[in-house]
Amino acid sequence: MGKVKRNEGSVSVLRAGVVCGILLVVLVVLMIVSCTVGSGGYSVREIMEAVFSEEKSTIKTIVLKLRLPRIMMAILVGAALSASGALLQAVMRNPLADPGTIGVSAGAGTAAITVLLIFPSLSMSLPLFAFVGAALACVLIYSMAWKGGIDPTRIILSGVAINSVLGAYNSMLQLLNSDNLSGVLAFMNGSLSGVVWQHVEIMAIYAAIGLFLSLFCIRPANALQLGDEMAKNLGIRVNLCRICLSAVSAFLAAATVSQVGMIGFVGLLVPHIARMLVGSDYKIMLPTSILLSGCVLLLADTIGRTVVPGLEIPVGIVMSVTGGPFFLYMLRKRGKFNAG
Amino acid sequence: MQVDCKNIQVGYGESVVVEDMSITIEKDKITSIIGPNGSGKSTVLKAATRLLNYQKGEVIVKGKDIRRYKPKELSRCIGVLAQKHSAPADFRVRELVSYGRMPHLKPLGGFSVKDNELVDEAMKTTNTYHLRDKSIFECSGGEAQRVWIATVLAQNPEILFLDEPTTYLDVSHQMEVMQMVKNLNKKTGVGIVMVLHDLGQALEVSDKIIVIKDGKKYSEGTPAEVITPKMLKEVYGVEADVIHLEGRQKPIIVYKELD
Repeated sequence: MGKVKRNEGSVSVLRAGVVCGILLVVLVVLMIVSCTVGSGGYSVREIMEAVFSEEKSTIKTIVLKLRLPRIMMAILVGAALSASGALLQAVMRNPLADPGTIGVSAGAGTAAITVLLIFPSLSMSLPLFAFVGAALACVLIYSMAWKGGIDPTRIILSGVAINSVLGAYNSMLQLLNSDNLSGVLAFMNGSLSGVVWQHVEIMAIYAAIGLFLSLFCIRPANALQLGDEMAKNLGIRVNLCRICLSAVSAFLAAATVSQVGMIGFVGLLVPHIARMLVGSDYKIMLPTSILLSGCVLLLADTIGRTVVPGLEIPVGIVMSVTGGPFFLYMLRKRGKFNAG
Repeated sequence: MQVDCKNIQVGYGESVVVEDMSITIEKDKITSIIGPNGSGKSTVLKAATRLLNYQKGEVIVKGKDIRRYKPKELSRCIGVLAQKHSAPADFRVRELVSYGRMPHLKPLGGFSVKDNELVDEAMKTTNTYHLRDKSIFECSGGEAQRVWIATVLAQNPEILFLDEPTTYLDVSHQMEVMQMVKNLNKKTGVGIVMVLHDLGQALEVSDKIIVIKDGKKYSEGTPAEVITPKMLKEVYGVEADVIHLEGRQKPIIVYKELD
């Protein structure tokens, strides 16, 4: 008949469905595995029995109070970071953009280091300061880049400049306080240890708001991929659209940084892999990124807390160490991923 | 419908590229804008389609200045294909052409049956329907140009602006695009405005030609009125004859032999 209801790119929709289905299964399996492994290893059956019994037990406490919140946090943080990175890549039309580009990491870092080293009495409110610092750095970079409109190259350059100034300040403070750096280091190498349900709740609210807003960013992000003039022709307010997308992206990234510290590479790496798997249409690529980064971050954190017994490797470090080589591998194989 | 540019001044920053220019573009016609490099042809086209802000004057579409339109509302009246555009390598032709429907969609709304039909129709009109499942990077230069035109056409505009649609194409692809543009205009009545470099093409395809020199309008009229040895000398600084051949409706330009 040939008159089958053809949606925009029905082939890729099918493919995306398959990819997302697989990712969901992987995510569930990872969650189960992550519940069972750790300093005490339990079988699934032991966990089920303990969790569903009325009595209090060590297993129940460990799984429900320690491992499960951590698992949920990993998924939420991953989702937020990859959505943030994916949106920024559309704003900049540059595959190397990530939340660090617009100063989120450096800004949060500056605020955190200032609080931890100069005003330690305020460290209870660290997340708030980190969030504000991230937002301020981002606003500063954009206002420096503004010149009758937003030009991605100018944002990147102004980002490089401001990141370097903030970086210098951070290094200086650390040098002056080199005996008191454990808190700072923990923040700089984002870690999920010590996460409790209360943190998960806060992160869930942030992520829900940010991810809901990013739904409205899908179409503008797609239009921006066609070039500024084409986007304008299609009725997109290019400057406004870049600002809104950046704001959503910065919000998501600042939220994660303020809750768990800096976790690099997820925002850059995962949207790329998603693009290779399902193509560049944000309608499909964004949800795929979100699911995929949940898997990636959960896997990285699980590895980080189990690979060396008795030692917690922060998830940020695991991500960078494993993500780099894996990314290179994907890059070399890219032809294969595009063939389908 | 028509697009009226009244005394517009356009420039980049301090420098003024186009000064006090007034042109009128009508629906149903093919209008070409010609002129030497740097004369401001593309700048006029961009100003008339709000890709570039003008500093003075006004551009009136359907009795209203284009600055007072909502962006999407204007996108439903006029479509413009600039010289610069790009698409991710994995985009299929049909996917790309579908973006032309964007100004007609509700926020978060999907495609209706009519949207899908218009996308198919735009591809059929531009002879790109058979390419629909190909990636845009597998298309030849001429095919890709037709796909981009299909994208703008899917907007269902009343007037279509094309900035140098044949530049970088070889002769056969140039002819293909020109023939398609002509058919499009005849069949659907959509008005077409093109910035062209090739005077022969402008002569062949246009109902009306606007000549621009140093950011000012030099002359306008039918091809026969505008393309004259005098204009070629004064605007382009070349010696040429415009001669009529038997059996051909349009004259041809014969440039002076080089020494």
